[in-house]
Amino acid sequence: MGVARAGFFLSLVLLWQLLWSRGLPAYVLSPLEIGRHFGEALGSAELYEHAWASLGRSLPGFAIGTFFGALLGLAAGMARWFDRLFSPVVFVTYPVPKIVMLPIFMLWFGIGDLSKVLIIALACFYPVFINAYYGVKATPAILVWSALNMGARRGTILRRVVLPSAAPMIFAGMRVSLALSFIVMFAAEMINARSGLGHLIRVAENSLRFDLMYVSLLAVGLLGYAGDRLVRFAQRRLLAWQEHAA
Amino acid sequence: MTPVFQRLLPFLVVAAVLVIWEAAAVSGLWSKLLFPSLGSIAYEFGVFLITPERLHEAWVSLYRALGGFALAAVVGILVGMLMGRSKLVAGLLDPLFSGTYAVPKLALFPIFIFVFGIGSLSKVALVFLECLYPIVIMSYHGARGVNRVLLWSAQNMGASRGETLRRVVIPATAPFIFAGFRVAAPVAMIVVVITEMVSSADGLGYLVTYSLSSLRTDRMLAVVVVIALIGYLLDKAVVLARDRLIYWEKLDTYYV
Repeated sequence: MGVARAGFFLSLVLLWQLLWSRGLPAYVLSPLEIGRHFGEALGSAELYEHAWASLGRSLPGFAIGTFFGALLGLAAGMARWFDRLFSPVVFVTYPVPKIVMLPIFMLWFGIGDLSKVLIIALACFYPVFINAYYGVKATPAILVWSALNMGARRGTILRRVVLPSAAPMIFAGMRVSLALSFIVMFAAEMINARSGLGHLIRVAENSLRFDLMYVSLLAVGLLGYAGDRLVRFAQRRLLAWQEHAA
Repeated sequence: MTPVFQRLLPFLVVAAVLVIWEAAAVSGLWSKLLFPSLGSIAYEFGVFLITPERLHEAWVSLYRALGGFALAAVVGILVGMLMGRSKLVAGLLDPLFSGTYAVPKLALFPIFIFVFGIGSLSKVALVFLECLYPIVIMSYHGARGVNRVLLWSAQNMGASRGETLRRVVIPATAPFIFAGFRVAAPVAMIVVVITEMVSSADGLGYLVTYSLSSLRTDRMLAVVVVIALIGYLLDKAVVLARDRLIYWEKLDTYYV
């Protein structure tokens, strides 16, 4: 299987390279050329600066959104009055594209990083909230009853029963949120920023620097991929007791 | 708590937010630009609903979102089910989809502009690409998890491959497909709005940036309300279609 897979991808890249040498429009670069430009960019400071600026927006946003999503999601899953009060608002606003709030956030919090971090946090809040909420709801009642029977207090039940049972769902939500944080970060930077990978790709587009375009594309792709692996790695480490931690 | 009061609770939150907003607007502490009064937003919303040009912008956005979504649905179900039913296809395509899942496809937009032009096509193509992932992943997940006993029984009773597909695999996968739809529908709207905000001369996203640059925050917020409404209604439409079509299984899609 591994050989077939590697062969499949290799032949895709080869086909691309071949098609390119037969003459494709100027905006399609060959894999070799993209690799060369990327290698060059890795040697200069510019790419790191922009990648750093992007991460400085997406990671705090992701952290804030995930934190409040997990906290409020757990609370809504456990406390009925809070569920009634808060959950309907979350579920109704869930399908609304949060990025439209960016212009308003720019007015309220300035056009600097704060508005971008907050819009990313807002977008990251939803998947984690919903997953934490359903994670708590899916806790087998019999486990809670047994814990109660054995004299566990509320705090103990939360820590030893509810949290472990909801954790896989919360991690699934975090994976979605992470992907979302990169999308929103990139969008916000394309719309309005003076640094970051999204800004870099707009500069490249405006000056027809196709090499730079592919470099920033590859960089944001690699960041997204690395972040996803990191969340999955953390999940495997933290939830090692779970049999099929996907 | 009486049942009536319980039902009213969420509205209390909304009402509180609106009251705070209006208070901020009336107080005069902030410029009208930051917190336009609810009345002026409602007025602009009303104007939106009766102005054909504005409604046309909404239609443009909706048609891009739905076009990309429909394409992604057709291709995504096909690819996802193929992956679920064939080890070979899954082995080849699964790394492709799970590897690029967390990569923002939005980054391709500048290249799409060069390939498909600056009009609707590049936006529809990007909506297609972003919607494809959840639909493929959910249909793959569903088609792979079809109960073996059901498949064996069907084969035992002499069902042909086509019949097995139609009577067993598709019904078993359908709830998952709708779960994918439910993730993809908001994504479609997000991508349309973003691409229109980044580069466009029509659509709701453009209207947002245009209203902002002409310092009409009230108009901008009215457009935001329209976008929110469309996002909400799209989700409701998917849920309605699911409940009509999949009568045999009550599946909460957030939960899968």
